Amino acid sequence: MASTAPSLTLPPSQFARLQPHAYLLAHLSPPASSNQPSIRANGRAPSQFRTTYANTGSLTHTNGSAVVRVGDTTAVCGVRAEILPTDDIASWSVSHSSSSNTNKRRKIIKSENEEEEEEEEEEEEDPNEESHIQDLNLLVPNLSLSTGCAPGFIPGAPPSALAQSLSHQILNLLHTTRLVRAEDLRVWYQPPSLGGEELERHNAEEQMDVDVDEAARKDGEVKAFWVLYIDIMIVSMAGNPFDAAWAAVLAALRDTKLPRAWWDVDNEMVVCSDVVGEARKLTLRGLPVASSFAVFEADAAAGWRAVIVPDAEEERLIEEGDRKGIQRRWVLADPDGYEEGLSQERACVVVDKVRGKTVIVKMEKNGGWALDGKELKGLVDVSERRWEEVKTILEQC
Amino acid sequence: MTSTLPAVAIPGQRLGPIASFSAGPGTHVQNANIYASIAGPVLVDAHPSSKTKSTLSVSRTALRNPSAAPSSSTPPPPTTTTTTTSGPQPPKPNKPRYNTLPAVDSVVLARVTRVQKRQATVSILVVLDDSVSSHPLNPTVSASDNDNIEAILSSAANPENHSSSDELRFQALIRREDVRAVEKDRVVMDEMFRVGDIVRGSVISLGDQSFYYLTTARNDLGVVMARSEAGNMMFPVSWKDMRDPVGGGSELRKVARPF
Amino acid sequence: MTDRRRINGPPSGTRPAVFASSLKSASGISTGRPQRERQPNELRKLFLKTGLIPSASGSAYLEFEPSASLAAARSSPQSLIPPSSALKLACTVHGPKPLPRSASFSPNLVLTTHVKYAPFAARQRKGHIRDASERDLGVHLETALRGVIVAERWPKSGLDITITILEAEDDRWWGDAPDSHDAPWGMMNVLAGCITAASAAIADARIDCLDLVAGGVAAIVSDETAEGETSSPKLMLDTDPAEHKSILSACAVAYMPSRDEITEIWLKGDHSKASLGTDDKNLGHEALIDGAVNAARGAHTVLAEAVKESAERFAGLMLGGNAA
Repeated sequence: MASTAPSLTLPPSQFARLQPHAYLLAHLSPPASSNQPSIRANGRAPSQFRTTYANTGSLTHTNGSAVVRVGDTTAVCGVRAEILPTDDIASWSVSHSSSSNTNKRRKIIKSENEEEEEEEEEEEEDPNEESHIQDLNLLVPNLSLSTGCAPGFIPGAPPSALAQSLSHQILNLLHTTRLVRAEDLRVWYQPPSLGGEELERHNAEEQMDVDVDEAARKDGEVKAFWVLYIDIMIVSMAGNPFDAAWAAVLAALRDTKLPRAWWDVDNEMVVCSDVVGEARKLTLRGLPVASSFAVFEADAAAGWRAVIVPDAEEERLIEEGDRKGIQRRWVLADPDGYEEGLSQERACVVVDKVRGKTVIVKMEKNGGWALDGKELKGLVDVSERRWEEVKTILEQC
Repeated sequence: MTSTLPAVAIPGQRLGPIASFSAGPGTHVQNANIYASIAGPVLVDAHPSSKTKSTLSVSRTALRNPSAAPSSSTPPPPTTTTTTTSGPQPPKPNKPRYNTLPAVDSVVLARVTRVQKRQATVSILVVLDDSVSSHPLNPTVSASDNDNIEAILSSAANPENHSSSDELRFQALIRREDVRAVEKDRVVMDEMFRVGDIVRGSVISLGDQSFYYLTTARNDLGVVMARSEAGNMMFPVSWKDMRDPVGGGSELRKVARPF
Repeated sequence: MTDRRRINGPPSGTRPAVFASSLKSASGISTGRPQRERQPNELRKLFLKTGLIPSASGSAYLEFEPSASLAAARSSPQSLIPPSSALKLACTVHGPKPLPRSASFSPNLVLTTHVKYAPFAARQRKGHIRDASERDLGVHLETALRGVIVAERWPKSGLDITITILEAEDDRWWGDAPDSHDAPWGMMNVLAGCITAASAAIADARIDCLDLVAGGVAAIVSDETAEGETSSPKLMLDTDPAEHKSILSACAVAYMPSRDEITEIWLKGDHSKASLGTDDKNLGHEALIDGAVNAARGAHTVLAEAVKESAERFAGLMLGGNAA
């Protein structure tokens, strides 16, 4: 490589700083004569993730918390639950008061009665279920980079574009994965029955179809919702903040316990029990795990000249090069800060496994054209393996 | 006396009386005693002539043994420190360095960020210590500066950080008259530097609040790395030309003498 | 009100959870106040580690050992309401770096400090924007550090010190009515922790300092006796405000042991009341400051150990490098 010629007198650290692209390229494509494997500057194989560590429940003033460290990127997530009384929701009495929630409620009562039996059963999806979470803003994730986590993020400044984008990505992923069940967030009120409870219970089944409103009123009404404030502090930033932040959110939500809450008629407010045994964990839907990738191109100029899409001829040349074993681009899993600065194209795959089957929850790529369908499929395989890793880590913490 | 010195000192630790030693970098004097002001290994620089006192200092650098060739793949062992440049290097009684900032006569590597008619603006990437410039072929003594690979790998910015990263570096100016030693009045800045070039320069003045001043008016100073207009890394062919190995064209630069 | 740059919750706002047990009469819960199990001059343990954040020039993480009550609540939880809390914070140092373009020439290092609570750090949710108390802490921290750094060795450059508080100290016991004490006593402990952590992070960044400055807190408290009466005031070191019925006055200092100098004193409360009430002259402000200094000495031993350990790791590398 021509680029190494004038820099032979430089120690690696200066080479890394002055010619980052050439430095990384030199690691990834060592001279054939040297017999060295293609390895990243950080010593990892291209599809290797950094060592991940998770710990939950160490923050006192949260309903659930987690610290996730992916290499040198550290995210701390705290979940705080607060009460949103339905009286405070402007549109509540008009649109929701008692209609639509009947079926759901009925189901819950039933499963409470019949104990564990129905727990395993896949519940039928209620379209209103998720719209509550979304419409009422019951999940409020905010990510902060203004923690001194890296130079360049000024503490005290409003959230940077990156912080805003990450917060929104997390919010969207919470919504699309439907990770949190709306039912877990509802606080019901059961008006005291004026006698004949047995009878009503008994008749409920038949009444349901006939008179929905009637049944709903008898079954109870939603008096309040829990709102989950999910705050993520990136304490140390060394690339790929999204994977660490999402893993922290996931671990914190798995750790989250909501106290038993009820409507106190005398005080006209929602009151909670501080008895530990009565608090319950959230029942999350699945375990979506995020894996991010960056594409590093050997042609340094590609980055800053990349305005034209390569024509068929160029693509053919690249493919030919591939066949000859000359690799011109690398897909790097879990990029560190250095690699992120050197690659334009990013991809993020979020997968979950349901009964052994892999489900792609989200797939996103931007900034380039190097990744095609075939390669994305490869990334899904990598993400699948990562899912197993993260699952083990989260289950142990 | 030296036997009582600790191997490693922490700030505020008493090292010895001013009567027996003189205070070097990384230390300060208080009540006729020398105290450490940074954490690190304690160095005693005994002068050859026994008349002068030995200098006590605390090193800010760890003399590591980086891999020989820059492109070889073994990064130095990770450390948790992220120190910057140069301390006193034992071999030569250089001018003592009390900090890691660019100082007068420091040789620096800088990236050109702007070229104007009368001056070029650069941002300083690396402050080379004196021992590096005096023994350029021996990378083992150049454990210097910003040389923690782990820190570099983690900090080198996401795109958002990128735009502002120049603001995190010290800025310097190369004035037209400081570009070269001869034919100063015929210097055309565009033919000396281009944006993105890596330049080796020497600090001539600390300048004002925002800029240092650099000179490249020496044979060993000037452009050390540059890309051609086509984007290929060029190699030097003469003191004023560099060539693109792919396109074959040559471009004008104030070239530093390659070692 | 709405902040377009953040994700906002429900527009009508939300209310913190109210526990039924806290609605009961005060006498009903006062038995739940955590008790101090340490001796008056016994400090909580400190966990301090430097260099965990590699993209910073220097960094430190500090954690207070949970008080006995909190530790018990962790191991066998009785209630969802935590009895007290234990400080946890991360400190980073960035620099020396160029001063902003707008700044004027400075022959010295320009220090900037910034203290921010995480939204989940305290019993009440904290806002995203720094409030007055956080700014106040930043100013106190800056004065504490300014006297320690050898600023003239770093001309025309700046040093940013940022502290993120992940868990703060309680200002009082949660069972007491919020207005039962006038001062937010927990802030004193937070300041002491900030000083110690910042000192470690600055040493990690290898910025010249006169000494490792450490923070310490002492307070004059009057506790409840078993009969429910308040006892005579006592001087205690490293007080956890949740453990005391009434703190009469408290003091936080930043202290340099090798020079026996104090760079910052923050004394709150009415210490005269304490000394008037008793004949004990040892409860004046001097005793309070001495107590805080003693607490700082304790923190200094941990600080010195942490810094030394990281310096030895550093020196060990050097020796290893030479041997190789």
